[in-house]
Amino acid sequence: MKAAGPIAGFVGFALLAAFVLLPLAQTLLLSFLSTLPREGIPEGQPTLLNYRNIVAMPALREAIVNSIIYALLNVLLCLAVGLPAAYAFSRYRFVGDRHFFFLLLAFRVTPPVVLSLPVFILFAKFGLVNSPVGIALAHCLFNIPITIWILESFISAIPRELDETAFLDGHTLPGFFVKHLVPAIAPGIGVAAFFCFIFSWVEVVIARILTVTAGKPITMAINALFGFQTDIGLVMAMTVVSLVPGVAMIWFVRNHISRGFVVRA
Amino acid sequence: MKPRNNAAWLFLIPSAAILAFVGIVPLVAVFNYSFHDIFSLDQAYWVGTQWYEEIASSQRFRASLGRSLVFSALVIAVQFSLGIWIALLLSRAPRYRTAVLMLLAIPLVVPWNMIPIMWLNLVNPDTGLVGRAFEALGIGFDYKFTALHTWLLLIIMDTWHWLGLVVILVYAGLSAIPPAYYQAAAIDGASRLQVFRHVQLPRLAGVLSMALVLRFVDSFMIYTEAFRINAGGPNGATTFLALDLGENINGFSYGIAAARSVIYFLMVLAVAWVFRLVTQAREGSEE
Repeated sequence: MKAAGPIAGFVGFALLAAFVLLPLAQTLLLSFLSTLPREGIPEGQPTLLNYRNIVAMPALREAIVNSIIYALLNVLLCLAVGLPAAYAFSRYRFVGDRHFFFLLLAFRVTPPVVLSLPVFILFAKFGLVNSPVGIALAHCLFNIPITIWILESFISAIPRELDETAFLDGHTLPGFFVKHLVPAIAPGIGVAAFFCFIFSWVEVVIARILTVTAGKPITMAINALFGFQTDIGLVMAMTVVSLVPGVAMIWFVRNHISRGFVVRA
Repeated sequence: MKPRNNAAWLFLIPSAAILAFVGIVPLVAVFNYSFHDIFSLDQAYWVGTQWYEEIASSQRFRASLGRSLVFSALVIAVQFSLGIWIALLLSRAPRYRTAVLMLLAIPLVVPWNMIPIMWLNLVNPDTGLVGRAFEALGIGFDYKFTALHTWLLLIIMDTWHWLGLVVILVYAGLSAIPPAYYQAAAIDGASRLQVFRHVQLPRLAGVLSMALVLRFVDSFMIYTEAFRINAGGPNGATTFLALDLGENINGFSYGIAAARSVIYFLMVLAVAWVFRLVTQAREGSEE
């Protein structure tokens, strides 16, 4: 095939990059400006004040920690329950396997707003409101399907002989999982962890409804900054902070990023 | 062939238990609420299918459904034509491949309520880069009161958010096509369009239907992003299905909110079911 001209290619790439980067540039720009009238600092002056304010405001600091905690908890939960399930789908056929697969698809595409109310009532009964455990558990709804799909594809790429030799060597099932299977699909574990973390991190509806008085995630802390006089510079600085983990992790999964959008039926 | 072993269900118990707790139980609850008038958790009265009749006969529901369908159709048309085109260019220009894929992945990791905030600041006529450029060029952009502009902003914002998903999936599908297919097409003297139509498109059916089902359900049920931009306005011109539901919940009308939730869930389920049928038919024909 004829390669596109180098100049046309560059122009196209530049246009696309401009489109993607423009809102990010705007955010970055405002995050380094003083956007409220303040004593001693004229409005619109470049400053690090917004970032210093994040460190100085306990509500914002706690929100960052809360988000990290429930996203990590969600990753651990999904991996712990998703790994055996993915193994079962990869190695066996059984009664109802296709129905279970369809259930996963149904939960993956269920809009959180549809379940927000009953999830709140149910979790309130179990004391799971205002706690990172509650959010981590609720996000399993869409992250368990993703984990199972990703891990299943990685496990299926490994020959059955690995299982059989391990069992012949006298490994128990948990021993086989920890000592053989997990190291063999380490990239898959990483990819699944990345997507669970990201989808939990960006979710808003459930994270909001499950945090009434405490345990606010970073997204709600940003919403709370809006008021009579919004310090948009601070909002943007918080947004930049909320982008850091995702952008950093994109680098690590750049070659596997399509796996997170694999849908099975 | 995989061996048949029903004991494999033991491996599924942990995930099935969690999914039952966070998925099945709430679904059953919402189904139950949808037949009740709910004043508080202790005061719920059976009303039968009253909420469903109310929704089915309401002009507002039909209007929101229409708007959501049009919105999905528009964003899918824009994102798929752009996404397929970019992915095809990438497969021919490997130099930009990793950079473009990583670039397009960035919007996917932005928290959903931050996306509208970023875009509103961008088009802000006082402080926004694009807003000030419009001002200087004399282009009047008024997303608050001009429905067309609100729609434009929503579609561009949604494309910014999700274009990466389409490109990434299509690119992955393209890289999975064995080079022998292209060589055969080249021997036959196929044009670029013919290669796309007869070699690439059939092999992309799987990833395209995946992208389609994900993009359809997410755009059809758009809530956080659309609400923040203009709260369904101007004059309800961007009131999509999920925004109606959000209004019911915020107004404590839990009975009708539950009925609406059931209807929306069934719509999404129907789409997932069609996807499953299509996928199985295709897999069956390939075997």
